[in-house]
Amino acid sequence: MEQIKAYKKIELLKILFVFFKMNLKSMLEYKFDRFFIALAIFVREMVSIVVMFLILTRFVTIGGWTMHEMFFLYSFLFLSYSIFVFFFTGIRDFDDMVYQGTLDRYLIRPLGLMFQVVAARVDFAAILGHGTVGILLFTYSCKAVGIVWDFKSVTYYISALIGGAIIQAALFMISSCFSFWTIRTVNLRNLIFFNCRRFAGYPISFYPGLVQKLLIFVVPFAFVSYFPAQYFIRKPDLDMFWNGYLYLTPLVGAAMFVLVYIFWRAGLKRYSSAGN
Amino acid sequence: MAYRADYYAGLINTLILIFVNIAIWKAIYGEDGSYDGVQLKIVLTYIVLGFLMQSFFIMDDYFIQNKITNGLISTDLLKPISFRLLVFSYSIGASGFKIIMNLVPAIIISLLFFEFLPPFSVSMFILFILSLCLGYLVLYCLNFIVWLTAFWFYQTFSLVTIKDALIAVLSGALIPLWFMPTWLYNFIKLTPFDSIYYIPITIYLGQTPSNEIMTCLLKQVLWIVLLTVIGHFIWKAATKKLVVQGG
Repeated sequence: MEQIKAYKKIELLKILFVFFKMNLKSMLEYKFDRFFIALAIFVREMVSIVVMFLILTRFVTIGGWTMHEMFFLYSFLFLSYSIFVFFFTGIRDFDDMVYQGTLDRYLIRPLGLMFQVVAARVDFAAILGHGTVGILLFTYSCKAVGIVWDFKSVTYYISALIGGAIIQAALFMISSCFSFWTIRTVNLRNLIFFNCRRFAGYPISFYPGLVQKLLIFVVPFAFVSYFPAQYFIRKPDLDMFWNGYLYLTPLVGAAMFVLVYIFWRAGLKRYSSAGN
Repeated sequence: MAYRADYYAGLINTLILIFVNIAIWKAIYGEDGSYDGVQLKIVLTYIVLGFLMQSFFIMDDYFIQNKITNGLISTDLLKPISFRLLVFSYSIGASGFKIIMNLVPAIIISLLFFEFLPPFSVSMFILFILSLCLGYLVLYCLNFIVWLTAFWFYQTFSLVTIKDALIAVLSGALIPLWFMPTWLYNFIKLTPFDSIYYIPITIYLGQTPSNEIMTCLLKQVLWIVLLTVIGHFIWKAATKKLVVQGG
Protein backbone atom coordinates (compact mmCIF):
# COMPACT_ATOMS: atom_id res chain seq x y z
CA MET A 1 0.00 0.00 0.00
CA GLU A 2 1.19 3.41 -0.82
CA GLN A 3 2.48 5.38 2.11
CA ILE A 4 0.67 8.69 2.59
CA LYS A 5 3.18 11.45 2.23
CA ALA A 6 3.65 13.51 5.36
CA TYR A 7 2.71 17.16 5.06
CA LYS A 8 5.40 19.76 4.90
CA LYS A 9 5.52 22.37 7.63
CA ILE A 10 4.53 25.12 5.26
CA GLU A 11 1.47 23.20 4.14
CA LEU A 12 0.43 22.68 7.75
CA LEU A 13 0.70 26.40 8.32
CA LYS A 14 -1.51 27.00 5.31
CA ILE A 15 -4.14 24.61 6.66
CA LEU A 16 -3.92 26.29 10.05
CA PHE A 17 -4.55 29.61 8.37
CA VAL A 18 -7.57 28.24 6.51
CA PHE A 19 -9.05 26.93 9.75
CA PHE A 20 -8.40 30.27 11.40
CA LYS A 21 -10.12 32.16 8.60
CA MET A 22 -13.07 29.81 8.77
CA ASN A 23 -13.48 30.47 12.49
CA LEU A 24 -13.20 34.19 12.01
CA LYS A 25 -15.84 34.12 9.30
CA SER A 26 -18.23 32.03 11.36
CA MET A 27 -17.82 34.54 14.16
CA LEU A 28 -18.40 37.56 11.95
CA GLU A 29 -21.58 35.96 10.69
CA TYR A 30 -23.13 36.95 14.01
CA LYS A 31 -20.86 39.82 14.91
CA PHE A 32 -23.42 41.70 16.97
CA ASP A 33 -24.26 38.64 19.02
CA ARG A 34 -20.62 37.64 19.46
CA PHE A 35 -19.66 41.13 20.49
CA PHE A 36 -22.23 41.04 23.27
CA ILE A 37 -21.04 37.62 24.40
CA ALA A 38 -17.50 38.99 24.62
CA LEU A 39 -18.79 42.01 26.52
CA ALA A 40 -20.72 39.77 28.91
CA ILE A 41 -17.63 37.64 29.58
CA PHE A 42 -15.64 40.81 30.18
CA VAL A 43 -18.23 42.10 32.68
CA ARG A 44 -18.45 38.70 34.40
CA GLU A 45 -14.69 38.53 34.85
CA MET A 46 -14.54 42.12 36.04
CA VAL A 47 -16.72 41.25 39.06
CA SER A 48 -13.83 39.78 41.04
CA ILE A 49 -11.63 42.71 39.99
CA VAL A 50 -14.19 45.30 41.07
CA VAL A 51 -14.68 43.56 44.41
CA MET A 52 -10.91 43.48 44.91
CA PHE A 53 -10.75 47.14 43.95
CA LEU A 54 -13.46 48.10 46.43
CA ILE A 55 -11.81 46.12 49.23
CA LEU A 56 -8.42 47.67 48.52
CA THR A 57 -9.68 51.25 48.30
CA ARG A 58 -10.98 50.71 51.79
CA PHE A 59 -8.15 48.70 53.34
CA VAL A 60 -5.17 49.81 51.17
CA THR A 61 -3.31 46.49 51.54
CA ILE A 62 -4.18 42.82 51.95
CA GLY A 63 -1.52 40.86 53.80
CA GLY A 64 1.06 43.46 52.74
CA TRP A 65 0.04 43.43 49.08
CA THR A 66 -1.01 46.72 47.48
CA MET A 67 -3.60 47.13 44.77
CA HIS A 68 -1.05 47.34 41.97
CA GLU A 69 0.68 44.20 43.12
CA MET A 70 -2.57 42.28 43.46
CA PHE A 71 -3.71 43.35 40.01
CA PHE A 72 -0.33 42.45 38.54
CA LEU A 73 -0.68 38.96 40.00
CA TYR A 74 -4.21 38.68 38.69
CA SER A 75 -3.22 39.81 35.18
CA PHE A 76 -1.15 36.61 34.75
CA LEU A 77 -4.28 34.51 35.14
CA PHE A 78 -6.25 36.38 32.50
CA LEU A 79 -3.46 36.77 29.97
CA SER A 80 -2.34 33.15 30.15
CA TYR A 81 -5.95 31.97 29.98
CA SER A 82 -6.61 33.99 26.84
CA ILE A 83 -3.41 32.67 25.27
CA PHE A 84 -4.53 29.17 26.17
CA VAL A 85 -7.96 29.73 24.60
CA PHE A 86 -6.40 31.33 21.53
CA PHE A 87 -4.29 28.29 20.75
CA PHE A 88 -6.17 25.46 22.42
CA THR A 89 -9.92 26.11 22.25
CA GLY A 90 -10.18 22.67 20.70
CA ILE A 91 -8.67 21.14 23.82
CA ARG A 92 -11.14 23.01 25.99
CA ASP A 93 -14.06 21.66 23.95
CA PHE A 94 -12.59 18.23 23.36
CA ASP A 95 -15.28 16.46 25.40
CA ASP A 96 -17.91 17.79 23.04
CA MET A 97 -16.01 16.54 20.00
CA VAL A 98 -15.99 13.03 21.38
CA TYR A 99 -19.66 13.03 22.36
CA GLN A 100 -20.91 14.60 19.16
CA GLY A 101 -18.77 12.33 17.01
CA THR A 102 -16.82 15.18 15.42
CA LEU A 103 -13.71 13.32 16.44
CA ASP A 104 -14.51 10.45 14.06
CA ARG A 105 -14.50 12.88 11.20
CA TYR A 106 -11.06 14.08 12.21
CA LEU A 107 -9.79 10.53 12.54
CA ILE A 108 -10.41 9.69 8.89
CA ARG A 109 -8.69 12.79 7.57
CA PRO A 110 -5.05 12.45 6.54
CA LEU A 111 -3.82 14.87 9.14
CA GLY A 112 -2.45 14.63 12.67
CA LEU A 113 -5.32 14.36 15.14
CA MET A 114 -3.86 16.69 17.75
CA PHE A 115 -3.21 19.21 15.01
CA GLN A 116 -6.84 19.16 13.91
CA VAL A 117 -8.24 19.33 17.42
CA VAL A 118 -6.08 22.34 18.17
CA ALA A 119 -6.65 24.09 14.85
CA ALA A 120 -10.35 23.46 14.40
CA ARG A 121 -11.80 25.91 16.88
CA VAL A 122 -11.05 29.38 18.13
CA ASP A 123 -13.35 30.98 20.68
CA PHE A 124 -12.90 34.66 19.91
CA ALA A 125 -15.45 35.87 22.43
CA ALA A 126 -13.58 34.27 25.34
CA ILE A 127 -10.24 35.55 24.07
CA LEU A 128 -11.56 39.08 23.79
CA GLY A 129 -13.33 38.99 27.15
CA HIS A 130 -10.49 37.53 29.19
CA GLY A 131 -7.77 39.22 27.17
CA THR A 132 -9.20 42.70 27.67
CA VAL A 133 -9.36 42.22 31.43
CA GLY A 134 -5.78 40.94 31.41
CA ILE A 135 -4.42 43.81 29.33
CA LEU A 136 -6.32 46.35 31.41
CA LEU A 137 -4.87 44.96 34.64
CA PHE A 138 -1.40 44.69 33.19
CA THR A 139 -1.23 48.25 31.83
CA TYR A 140 -2.65 49.58 35.08
CA SER A 141 -0.16 47.80 37.29
CA CYS A 142 3.06 47.09 35.41
CA LYS A 143 4.58 50.56 35.85
CA ALA A 144 3.70 50.83 39.49
CA VAL A 145 5.21 47.50 40.53
CA GLY A 146 8.50 48.72 39.10
CA ILE A 147 9.53 46.15 36.54
CA VAL A 148 12.75 46.84 34.71
CA TRP A 149 12.18 45.62 31.18
CA ASP A 150 15.45 44.19 29.98
CA PHE A 151 16.18 41.12 27.90
CA LYS A 152 16.13 38.83 30.91
CA SER A 153 12.81 39.99 32.34
CA VAL A 154 11.05 40.07 28.98
CA THR A 155 12.20 36.50 28.27
CA TYR A 156 11.03 35.45 31.71
CA TYR A 157 7.68 37.18 31.31
CA ILE A 158 6.90 35.60 27.95
CA SER A 159 8.02 32.13 28.99
CA ALA A 160 5.96 32.42 32.17
CA LEU A 161 2.84 33.33 30.21
CA ILE A 162 3.31 30.52 27.73
CA GLY A 163 4.15 28.08 30.51
CA GLY A 164 1.02 29.16 32.35
CA ALA A 165 -1.10 28.69 29.25
CA ILE A 166 0.32 25.19 28.74
CA ILE A 167 -0.31 24.26 32.37
CA GLN A 168 -3.95 25.21 31.96
CA ALA A 169 -4.19 23.41 28.62
CA ALA A 170 -2.73 20.28 30.21
CA LEU A 171 -5.25 20.42 33.04
CA PHE A 172 -8.08 20.57 30.53
CA MET A 173 -6.56 17.81 28.43
CA ILE A 174 -6.22 15.43 31.36
CA SER A 175 -9.91 15.68 32.08
CA SER A 176 -10.79 15.40 28.38
CA CYS A 177 -8.77 12.22 28.00
CA PHE A 178 -11.17 10.47 30.34
CA SER A 179 -13.81 10.76 27.65
CA PHE A 180 -11.90 8.11 25.67
CA TRP A 181 -12.98 5.73 28.42
CA THR A 182 -16.48 7.27 28.20
CA ILE A 183 -16.16 8.86 31.59
CA ARG A 184 -17.73 12.28 31.58
CA THR A 185 -15.72 14.75 33.62
CA VAL A 186 -16.83 18.18 32.42
CA ASN A 187 -18.53 19.14 35.66
CA LEU A 188 -15.73 17.87 37.82
CA ARG A 189 -13.16 19.58 35.62
CA ASN A 190 -14.97 22.92 35.64
CA LEU A 191 -15.29 22.67 39.38
CA ILE A 192 -11.62 21.94 39.95
CA PHE A 193 -10.31 24.29 37.28
CA PHE A 194 -12.37 27.39 37.98
CA ASN A 195 -12.21 27.07 41.73
CA CYS A 196 -8.45 26.66 41.70
CA ARG A 197 -8.34 29.65 39.42
CA ARG A 198 -10.26 31.56 42.06
CA PHE A 199 -7.68 30.54 44.65
CA ALA A 200 -4.85 31.60 42.37
CA GLY A 201 -6.27 35.11 41.94
CA TYR A 202 -4.89 35.94 45.38
CA PRO A 203 -1.38 35.28 46.69
CA ILE A 204 -1.26 31.65 47.81
CA SER A 205 0.46 32.73 51.01
CA PHE A 206 -3.02 33.75 52.25
CA TYR A 207 -4.14 30.16 52.45
CA PRO A 208 -3.47 27.33 54.90
CA GLY A 209 -0.50 25.06 54.13
CA LEU A 210 -2.56 22.23 52.69
CA VAL A 211 -4.14 24.47 50.06
CA GLN A 212 -0.70 25.88 49.17
CA LYS A 213 0.69 22.36 48.63
CA LEU A 214 -2.36 21.51 46.52
CA LEU A 215 -1.79 24.55 44.31
CA ILE A 216 1.90 23.75 43.88
CA PHE A 217 1.94 19.97 43.48
CA VAL A 218 -1.52 18.80 42.44
CA VAL A 219 -3.21 21.53 40.41
CA PRO A 220 -0.17 23.72 39.82
CA PHE A 221 -1.92 27.06 39.51
CA ALA A 222 0.72 28.62 41.76
CA PHE A 223 3.01 28.48 38.72
CA VAL A 224 0.49 30.34 36.58
CA SER A 225 0.14 33.44 38.74
CA TYR A 226 1.86 33.52 42.12
CA PHE A 227 5.42 32.53 41.31
CA PRO A 228 5.70 34.51 38.05
CA ALA A 229 4.35 37.59 39.79
CA GLN A 230 6.70 37.06 42.72
CA TYR A 231 9.66 36.92 40.36
CA PHE A 232 8.99 40.59 39.62
CA ILE A 233 7.73 41.96 42.93
CA ARG A 234 9.47 39.80 45.56
CA LYS A 235 7.13 40.27 48.48
CA PRO A 236 8.54 38.98 51.78
CA ASP A 237 5.97 36.18 51.98
CA LEU A 238 8.02 34.42 49.29
CA ASP A 239 10.24 33.19 52.13
CA MET A 240 7.63 30.54 52.84
CA PHE A 241 8.55 28.78 49.62
CA TRP A 242 11.64 27.40 47.96
CA ASN A 243 13.19 30.09 45.77
CA GLY A 244 13.67 27.73 42.82
CA TYR A 245 9.91 27.63 42.25
CA LEU A 246 10.21 31.05 40.65
CA TYR A 247 11.90 29.57 37.61
CA LEU A 248 9.91 26.39 37.25
CA THR A 249 6.82 27.60 35.34
CA PRO A 250 7.99 26.60 31.84
CA LEU A 251 9.38 23.32 33.17
CA VAL A 252 6.16 22.43 34.95
CA GLY A 253 4.29 23.28 31.76
CA ALA A 254 6.57 21.11 29.62
CA ALA A 255 6.49 18.20 32.05
CA MET A 256 2.71 18.28 32.27
CA PHE A 257 2.41 18.46 28.52
CA VAL A 258 4.57 15.35 28.02
CA LEU A 259 2.60 13.49 30.66
CA VAL A 260 -0.69 14.46 29.11
CA TYR A 261 0.48 13.51 25.64
CA ILE A 262 1.35 9.98 26.82
CA PHE A 263 -2.05 9.75 28.49
CA TRP A 264 -3.72 10.97 25.29
CA ARG A 265 -1.95 8.34 23.15
CA ALA A 266 -3.03 5.63 25.55
CA GLY A 267 -6.60 6.89 25.43
CA LEU A 268 -6.66 7.12 21.66
CA LYS A 269 -5.61 3.48 21.35
CA ARG A 270 -8.47 2.54 23.60
CA TYR A 271 -10.98 4.75 21.75
CA SER A 272 -14.03 3.31 20.09
CA SER A 273 -16.51 5.81 18.71
CA ALA A 274 -19.52 7.09 20.61
CA GLY A 275 -21.51 5.55 17.77
CA ASN A 276 -25.18 4.90 17.35
CA MET B 1 -29.93 10.96 42.02
CA ALA B 2 -29.24 10.80 38.30
CA TYR B 3 -27.14 13.95 38.49
CA ARG B 4 -25.18 13.11 41.58
CA ALA B 5 -22.00 14.73 40.26
CA ASP B 6 -23.81 18.03 39.65
CA TYR B 7 -25.23 17.93 43.12
CA TYR B 8 -21.84 17.46 44.78
CA ALA B 9 -20.35 20.06 42.45
CA GLY B 10 -22.86 22.66 43.66
CA LEU B 11 -22.26 21.86 47.30
CA ILE B 12 -18.46 21.79 47.04
CA ASN B 13 -18.55 24.99 45.02
CA THR B 14 -20.37 26.83 47.80
CA LEU B 15 -17.97 25.53 50.42
CA ILE B 16 -14.86 26.44 48.41
CA LEU B 17 -16.17 29.95 47.76
CA ILE B 18 -16.76 30.43 51.47
CA PHE B 19 -13.33 29.04 52.24
CA VAL B 20 -11.49 31.32 49.79
CA ASN B 21 -13.31 34.41 50.98
CA ILE B 22 -12.70 33.64 54.64
CA ALA B 23 -8.98 33.31 53.90
CA ILE B 24 -9.00 36.67 52.11
CA TRP B 25 -10.87 38.53 54.83
CA LYS B 26 -8.60 37.03 57.48
CA ALA B 27 -5.62 38.31 55.48
CA ILE B 28 -7.23 41.75 55.28
CA TYR B 29 -7.78 41.95 59.00
CA GLY B 30 -4.39 40.50 59.84
CA GLU B 31 -3.60 39.74 63.44
CA ASP B 32 -5.64 42.15 65.53
CA GLY B 33 -9.06 41.19 64.13
CA SER B 34 -10.62 44.64 64.21
CA TYR B 35 -10.72 47.42 61.64
CA ASP B 36 -12.71 50.63 61.81
CA GLY B 37 -14.55 49.14 64.77
CA VAL B 38 -16.04 46.38 62.67
CA GLN B 39 -15.11 43.02 64.09
CA LEU B 40 -13.72 40.33 61.82
CA LYS B 41 -16.30 37.89 63.19
CA ILE B 42 -19.15 40.05 61.94
CA VAL B 43 -17.62 40.31 58.48
CA LEU B 44 -16.98 36.58 58.31
CA THR B 45 -20.56 35.81 59.32
CA TYR B 46 -21.75 38.27 56.69
CA ILE B 47 -19.69 36.57 53.99
CA VAL B 48 -20.67 33.02 54.96
CA LEU B 49 -24.34 34.00 55.13
CA GLY B 50 -24.08 35.72 51.74
CA PHE B 51 -22.75 32.58 50.05
CA LEU B 52 -25.23 30.32 51.82
CA MET B 53 -28.04 32.52 50.49
CA GLN B 54 -26.55 32.54 47.01
CA SER B 55 -26.54 28.73 46.99
CA PHE B 56 -30.33 28.65 46.76
CA PHE B 57 -31.01 32.11 45.28
CA ILE B 58 -29.61 30.86 41.97
CA MET B 59 -32.46 30.44 39.50
CA ASP B 60 -32.71 28.78 36.10
CA ASP B 61 -32.10 31.81 33.90
CA TYR B 62 -32.88 29.99 30.65
CA PHE B 63 -36.26 28.45 31.51
CA ILE B 64 -38.29 30.95 29.47
CA GLN B 65 -35.72 31.18 26.70
CA ASN B 66 -35.74 27.40 26.24
CA LYS B 67 -39.55 27.38 26.17
CA ILE B 68 -39.44 29.94 23.38
CA THR B 69 -36.70 28.37 21.27
CA ASN B 70 -38.24 24.90 21.34
CA GLY B 71 -41.75 26.27 20.84
CA LEU B 72 -43.25 24.66 23.94
CA ILE B 73 -44.41 28.05 25.07
CA SER B 74 -47.29 27.94 22.59
CA THR B 75 -48.83 24.91 24.31
CA ASP B 76 -48.02 26.31 27.75
CA LEU B 77 -49.91 29.49 26.94
CA LEU B 78 -52.95 27.43 25.95
CA LYS B 79 -53.02 25.56 29.24
CA PRO B 80 -55.58 26.76 31.80
CA ILE B 81 -52.87 27.98 34.14
CA SER B 82 -51.10 31.31 34.04
CA PHE B 83 -47.68 30.98 32.43
CA ARG B 84 -46.22 33.42 34.90
CA LEU B 85 -47.47 31.28 37.77
CA LEU B 86 -45.89 28.27 36.11
CA VAL B 87 -42.49 29.99 35.91
CA PHE B 88 -42.79 31.18 39.48
CA SER B 89 -43.71 27.77 40.88
CA TYR B 90 -40.87 26.22 38.90
CA SER B 91 -38.38 28.64 40.48
CA ILE B 92 -39.77 28.13 43.98
CA GLY B 93 -39.64 24.37 43.51
CA ALA B 94 -36.05 24.43 42.31
CA SER B 95 -35.02 26.64 45.23
CA GLY B 96 -36.84 24.38 47.66
CA PHE B 97 -34.89 21.44 46.34
CA LYS B 98 -31.64 23.37 46.74
CA ILE B 99 -32.52 24.34 50.30
CA ILE B 100 -32.95 20.71 51.29
CA MET B 101 -30.11 19.22 49.27
CA ASN B 102 -27.48 21.98 49.21
CA LEU B 103 -28.18 24.50 51.92
CA VAL B 104 -28.74 22.15 54.85
CA PRO B 105 -25.44 20.26 54.40
CA ALA B 106 -23.64 23.54 53.70
CA ILE B 107 -25.00 25.07 56.92
CA ILE B 108 -23.96 22.03 58.94
CA ILE B 109 -20.44 22.10 57.51
CA SER B 110 -20.20 25.89 57.97
CA LEU B 111 -21.21 25.59 61.60
CA LEU B 112 -18.54 22.96 62.14
CA PHE B 113 -15.61 24.53 60.31
CA PHE B 114 -16.19 28.24 59.78
CA GLU B 115 -16.57 30.97 62.36
CA PHE B 116 -20.20 31.84 62.34
CA LEU B 117 -22.06 34.11 64.75
CA PRO B 118 -25.57 33.12 65.86
CA PRO B 119 -28.40 35.53 64.98
CA PHE B 120 -28.50 38.72 67.05
CA SER B 121 -31.71 37.69 68.80
CA VAL B 122 -34.71 35.41 68.28
CA SER B 123 -36.94 38.24 67.04
CA MET B 124 -34.18 39.38 64.67
CA PHE B 125 -33.96 35.84 63.34
CA ILE B 126 -37.69 35.80 62.57
CA LEU B 127 -37.43 39.18 60.87
CA PHE B 128 -34.39 37.87 58.98
CA ILE B 129 -36.38 34.93 57.60
CA LEU B 130 -39.16 37.31 56.56
CA SER B 131 -36.69 39.69 54.93
CA LEU B 132 -34.95 36.75 53.25
CA CYS B 133 -38.21 35.71 51.59
CA LEU B 134 -38.82 39.29 50.46
CA GLY B 135 -35.25 39.44 49.14
CA TYR B 136 -35.89 36.28 47.15
CA LEU B 137 -39.01 37.86 45.64
CA VAL B 138 -37.15 41.06 44.71
CA LEU B 139 -34.51 38.95 42.96
CA TYR B 140 -37.20 36.90 41.24
CA CYS B 141 -39.04 39.97 39.92
CA LEU B 142 -35.78 41.45 38.67
CA ASN B 143 -34.82 38.16 37.03
CA PHE B 144 -38.24 37.79 35.46
CA ILE B 145 -37.86 41.11 33.64
CA VAL B 146 -34.48 40.03 32.25
CA TRP B 147 -35.84 36.60 31.28
CA LEU B 148 -38.64 38.23 29.31
CA THR B 149 -36.12 39.80 26.95
CA ALA B 150 -35.90 36.30 25.43
CA PHE B 151 -39.09 37.21 23.57
CA TRP B 152 -37.09 39.76 21.61
CA PHE B 153 -33.53 38.42 21.55
CA TYR B 154 -33.83 34.58 21.53
CA GLN B 155 -30.30 34.33 22.99
CA THR B 156 -30.11 35.97 26.41
CA PHE B 157 -26.73 34.70 27.63
CA SER B 158 -25.14 38.16 27.45
CA LEU B 159 -27.91 40.03 29.25
CA VAL B 160 -28.26 37.35 31.92
CA THR B 161 -24.52 37.32 32.54
CA ILE B 162 -24.34 41.10 32.83
CA LYS B 163 -27.34 41.07 35.18
CA ASP B 164 -25.64 38.46 37.37
CA ALA B 165 -22.47 40.56 37.48
CA LEU B 166 -24.39 43.68 38.52
CA ILE B 167 -26.23 41.80 41.24
CA ALA B 168 -23.01 40.19 42.50
CA VAL B 169 -21.32 43.56 43.00
CA LEU B 170 -24.20 45.86 43.98
CA SER B 171 -26.33 43.60 46.16
CA GLY B 172 -23.64 43.14 48.78
CA ALA B 173 -23.41 39.42 48.14
CA LEU B 174 -19.61 39.43 47.91
CA ILE B 175 -18.62 42.44 49.99
CA PRO B 176 -20.49 44.15 52.85
CA LEU B 177 -21.94 47.37 51.47
CA TRP B 178 -20.68 49.40 54.44
CA PHE B 179 -17.15 49.00 53.04
CA MET B 180 -18.12 50.76 49.81
CA PRO B 181 -17.39 54.41 49.07
CA THR B 182 -20.18 56.64 50.42
CA TRP B 183 -21.37 57.85 47.01
CA LEU B 184 -21.72 54.28 45.76
CA TYR B 185 -23.45 53.21 48.96
CA ASN B 186 -25.95 56.05 48.64
CA PHE B 187 -26.55 55.15 45.03
CA ILE B 188 -27.18 51.48 45.81
CA LYS B 189 -29.68 52.51 48.47
CA LEU B 190 -31.81 53.95 45.64
CA THR B 191 -31.75 50.69 43.66
CA PRO B 192 -33.47 47.35 44.36
CA PHE B 193 -30.09 45.62 44.70
CA ASP B 194 -29.52 46.08 48.42
CA SER B 195 -32.93 44.52 49.10
CA ILE B 196 -31.67 41.16 47.88
CA TYR B 197 -28.76 40.29 50.19
CA TYR B 198 -27.71 43.30 52.23
CA ILE B 199 -30.96 44.01 54.11
CA PRO B 200 -31.60 40.42 55.25
CA ILE B 201 -28.01 39.87 56.35
CA THR B 202 -27.74 43.11 58.31
CA ILE B 203 -30.98 42.25 60.09
CA TYR B 204 -29.53 38.87 61.03
CA LEU B 205 -26.40 40.54 62.39
CA GLY B 206 -28.38 43.12 64.33
CA GLN B 207 -26.63 45.88 62.38
CA THR B 208 -29.92 47.55 61.46
CA PRO B 209 -31.36 49.63 64.33
CA SER B 210 -34.72 48.15 65.35
CA ASN B 211 -36.63 51.34 64.50
CA GLU B 212 -35.32 51.16 60.91
CA ILE B 213 -36.16 47.51 60.29
CA MET B 214 -39.77 48.30 59.37
CA THR B 215 -38.61 50.85 56.80
CA CYS B 216 -36.23 48.31 55.32
CA LEU B 217 -38.92 45.64 55.02
CA LEU B 218 -41.32 48.19 53.55
CA LYS B 219 -38.68 49.13 51.03
CA GLN B 220 -38.37 45.50 49.96
CA VAL B 221 -42.15 45.22 49.56
CA LEU B 222 -42.22 48.43 47.54
CA TRP B 223 -39.59 47.12 45.17
CA ILE B 224 -41.48 43.87 44.75
CA VAL B 225 -44.65 45.80 43.84
CA LEU B 226 -42.85 48.17 41.49
CA LEU B 227 -40.90 45.43 39.71
CA THR B 228 -44.01 43.26 39.41
CA VAL B 229 -45.86 46.14 37.74
CA ILE B 230 -42.98 46.71 35.31
CA GLY B 231 -42.78 42.97 34.68
CA HIS B 232 -46.53 42.91 34.01
CA PHE B 233 -46.32 45.54 31.28
CA ILE B 234 -43.32 43.89 29.64
CA TRP B 235 -45.17 40.57 29.78
CA LYS B 236 -48.17 42.11 28.00
CA ALA B 237 -45.90 43.48 25.29
CA ALA B 238 -44.01 40.18 25.06
CA THR B 239 -47.07 37.99 24.49
CA LYS B 240 -48.18 40.30 21.70
CA LYS B 241 -44.74 40.05 20.16
CA LEU B 242 -44.41 36.26 20.42
CA VAL B 243 -43.30 34.52 17.29
CA VAL B 244 -43.00 30.77 17.53
CA GLN B 245 -40.58 29.31 15.07
CA GLY B 246 -41.75 26.38 12.99
CA GLY B 247 -45.20 24.92 12.66
